[in-house]
Amino acid sequence: MNEASVTLSAVRRRVMAMFFVIILAVLALIGRLAWLQIVRSDELYAAAWEQWNRSVPARSPRGTIYDCEGRMLAGSTTVDTIAAIPAQVKDPNRTAELLAPLLDLPESELLERLTMDRSSIYLKRKVSPEISRKIRKLDLPGIVFTPEGQRYYPNGTLASQLLGFVGMDEGLAGLERYYEKYLQGKEGYLLFPTDNLGRQIPHEVKRFVPPKEGMDLHLTIDETIQYIVERELARAMIEFQPKQALAIAADPHTGAILAAASKPDYDPLNYEAGSDYWSLPPVTSSYEPGSTFKLVTLCAAVEEGLYNEKEQFYCSGSVNVAGRKINCWTAGRGHGSITYLEAVESSCNPAFINLGERLGKEKLFGYIRAFGYGQRSGIDYPGESEGLIFDLEQVGPVELATSSFGQGISATPLQQLMAVSAIANGGNLMKPYLVEKICNIDGEMVYERKPEIVRQVISRSTAAKVTWLMENVAIRGSAMNAAIEGYRIAAKTGTAQKVGPGGGYIPGEYIVSLIGFLPAEDPQIVLYVAVDGATRGVQWGSQIGAPIFKRIMTDVLNYLQVPPSESKALPEAKPVKVPDLCGLTVDEAAARLETAGLMLRLVGEGQYIVNQTPKSGASVPRQTQIVVYLSDSENTSGGISLPDLRGFTMKEAGEVLNWLGLYLQAEGSGVAVKQEPSPGTPVEPGEAVKVIFDAPLER
Amino acid sequence: MKKEPRREPDYALILVTFLLLGIGLIMVFSASYIIAEEEQGDPYYFLRRQAIWVALGLLAMYLMSRVNYRMLRRFSLFMLLLSFILLALIFTGLGTDMGTGAKRWLDFGAFTFQPTEFCKLSFVLFTAAFMSSRRLRIENFWSSSFIPLLLAGIAFLFIVSQPDLGSALILLAGAVVIILLAGMPFKQVVILALVSLPALVAITIKEPYRLKRLFSFLDPWADPTETGYHIIQSFYALGPGHIFGVGLGRSRQKLYYLPFPHNDFIFAVIGEELGFVGATAVLLLFFVLIWRGLKISLTAPDTFGSLLAAGITAMLALQVLINIGMVTGSLPVTGINLPLISAGGSSVFFNLFGLGILLNISRHCRQ
Repeated sequence: MNEASVTLSAVRRRVMAMFFVIILAVLALIGRLAWLQIVRSDELYAAAWEQWNRSVPARSPRGTIYDCEGRMLAGSTTVDTIAAIPAQVKDPNRTAELLAPLLDLPESELLERLTMDRSSIYLKRKVSPEISRKIRKLDLPGIVFTPEGQRYYPNGTLASQLLGFVGMDEGLAGLERYYEKYLQGKEGYLLFPTDNLGRQIPHEVKRFVPPKEGMDLHLTIDETIQYIVERELARAMIEFQPKQALAIAADPHTGAILAAASKPDYDPLNYEAGSDYWSLPPVTSSYEPGSTFKLVTLCAAVEEGLYNEKEQFYCSGSVNVAGRKINCWTAGRGHGSITYLEAVESSCNPAFINLGERLGKEKLFGYIRAFGYGQRSGIDYPGESEGLIFDLEQVGPVELATSSFGQGISATPLQQLMAVSAIANGGNLMKPYLVEKICNIDGEMVYERKPEIVRQVISRSTAAKVTWLMENVAIRGSAMNAAIEGYRIAAKTGTAQKVGPGGGYIPGEYIVSLIGFLPAEDPQIVLYVAVDGATRGVQWGSQIGAPIFKRIMTDVLNYLQVPPSESKALPEAKPVKVPDLCGLTVDEAAARLETAGLMLRLVGEGQYIVNQTPKSGASVPRQTQIVVYLSDSENTSGGISLPDLRGFTMKEAGEVLNWLGLYLQAEGSGVAVKQEPSPGTPVEPGEAVKVIFDAPLER
Repeated sequence: MKKEPRREPDYALILVTFLLLGIGLIMVFSASYIIAEEEQGDPYYFLRRQAIWVALGLLAMYLMSRVNYRMLRRFSLFMLLLSFILLALIFTGLGTDMGTGAKRWLDFGAFTFQPTEFCKLSFVLFTAAFMSSRRLRIENFWSSSFIPLLLAGIAFLFIVSQPDLGSALILLAGAVVIILLAGMPFKQVVILALVSLPALVAITIKEPYRLKRLFSFLDPWADPTETGYHIIQSFYALGPGHIFGVGLGRSRQKLYYLPFPHNDFIFAVIGEELGFVGATAVLLLFFVLIWRGLKISLTAPDTFGSLLAAGITAMLALQVLINIGMVTGSLPVTGINLPLISAGGSSVFFNLFGLGILLNISRHCRQ
């Protein structure tokens, strides 16, 4: 028998060898385990933690926005966002069916989301508390609620353009956008451990990291002044039916903006509907300033010693500059022989062209730039316009001439406001601002704005002189209609033609404005108002800008409790003789009344004035409204048609109707918003007209 | 042949086996109760099945420890043929995939059965018997080593078509190990290796994605959601386990993150719940088991006993090392479970069956 070739000893040798290999393998695996479980434990744990925990973000309430007195302008509440964790939804069909009517979403869309392969998904962001309550009651598995901040504006549309608005997650316009990083807090989240199917592990600790609240803004805006301004702008919208009315007010000593608004505006809670009005025109739009700009030329001339109010000037109604005829505003008549004081009072264009020529382009444009024109002021608001002025190389005699009375340049209302503030505060151009301070949730101040002088533009004495000249404009000149009894006022009117898209002027379209400050001896507030494209009334600064300015300022002075000026310093309020306006066109009548201190109230339609009240020759106090009746032919004939009474106060409407032999049947209070019969209806004397009055601005 | 006195079995082996079975049952329950609750409506579903198979396996182990291993020599070919038949039956109506997509089970109504496990054991038995036969001339490759290799190849094709590449490879590797232990000359080993090299190269060229998949364990983060997913999930269990573990029953990774947490990746759950200490302890228990098995082989009275003990131990060691190697990202991911611990009836049954044979050999050992 053969010896077996596979021997026991050979097998044993090889088994020993295998045992040795196995020992090595076991040692290697222990080493591997130590590497994974001890050395890399923390790192792997961190990575695994990410996979175990799902989070639903909880957004932070935004910071609150307050006015300068601490009144809330924009606040936040917490509302629920409805989300689903698809893995936990037990019966998607029924869940979708129950939620569809509550969330106002199609059932199919909900079903799709409820069955999505995701750990969590939004069903609807920011639902109302009552909807949220109803859904909570259903107690549907897999439906979760996360709190989110919801913006609200306690004053509705008040200051909407200034404040801006907030989309789902961030400020999209205005201060809400500019101060986004302060207002927006840090996101928090709800964290819960899940299995790999995304389902929450029961009985495991959920962790809620609360969102960090945003910071609060304290504005320079005064809610009351803002309200007064917006109320009067809304009234002007009714009264003059313009494209737009705007105003901006500041403290001239600091550059702090007290109010800024324009109408039409939008509702911040329904901002999509008002997309044409998202900007803040006093800051973001620029246009030709017109006569208000003459103040810059005046300052420059006074500062350079080139202005003497007693000096004589002759205005022929136009002036020839480098072969081009430039008219005065007086519609061809000319001011005749006047002093330079009267030239300022009556806003005479040729006189200012003369001042511009005396200064020369380097000096005039040096002052224009020094006053801040042609550059952004740096206000804390998004989208500020920089306006436009000529480059020095482009300035020929014509450009110099037009620039000296405010044509051919473009400026924002804010730039004009800051320039006039410099006159009011003794010569310093201030940097305007809207936010006074920023506080954190505990009320600790994290940022404080200090007034900032950009530069001294004119000397204190020049500022005083120009202020005095502006006072005269309000005593005897075009701004007479803005005068407020008991106060010294410095003001200047402006009427600018509108430049169309093609570059030329649009005939018949004007932006009428008035800028001024008071009290003149100790300016508390500087205000600019402008009305763009009025379709009713007379498009003159003195006829539209002045009354709005006066109404706003009267209430603001009262609100701020500004003491009246010393009576000695006040000009005598002499009665005015009413001129005969019959047979004139509206423009001719307006030009005649420009420096008379009387206002026109137009009734009816037509080219010519056919009647007036009070009658010519009557002695009336200044700022009296002369109601004129219009017709297409020069003589009255036939029946009368009912005028458009919208924007009239009850007293004014009564006067007009009385003059027409009609009776007023008034309802409500405020300004006329509706009338019956409607405007243009033929009426017989003795009829009653029902007029509904209402506050121009809903609050 | 003189009559040997009956001796005591290796009690250390029995002790370690029971320890591992105990840990296995606890961990199967810990890893499976949530999934069992959700999918079967009964948290004890997997535990109960496993316990039944463990009981059956222990019975088989006891019986086999009483049956003289030398008797098995006569049945080895029969058992191998039977296992081939059973493997073939999978292709008939009896085969079932148990919902896994791989047909690895025979459905006998009352119970299911994985012929691969039976095949592995009978293959060890057959090879040990064949290689220790007195007429065998190991120098002659074609009449010796080639035969079991050929049979292993056939079994490999059966198993790989289920598909179960892991088990097929284990079987092939087991055959090679036993043949090597039997004393296959190194010259033949080298030639065999050189011959199989072109086949490997061919596979590499023809199906590179397979290889890429196989070697994804080297950098699982290169493809974290596909080929690297299992390894990463295993790491996410082991890492947080740290030294002492997150506590029994508190694994997070078993919540559908780990694939087969009560089966192929049960060692990851052990590492997570019991930490480095627990995982190492289990590994060391297996080492003791292997040590005892090889000691039995070294002290076995004859070549058949020695080869059989070494073969059974080697097969078990191979599975332990490959499974733990896979869980720790040291080896490719193959569907090899952890013997005695992982849930799986046929596996635990035939492992205990094998250990029973080992115990019987130990009773014939020189003390």
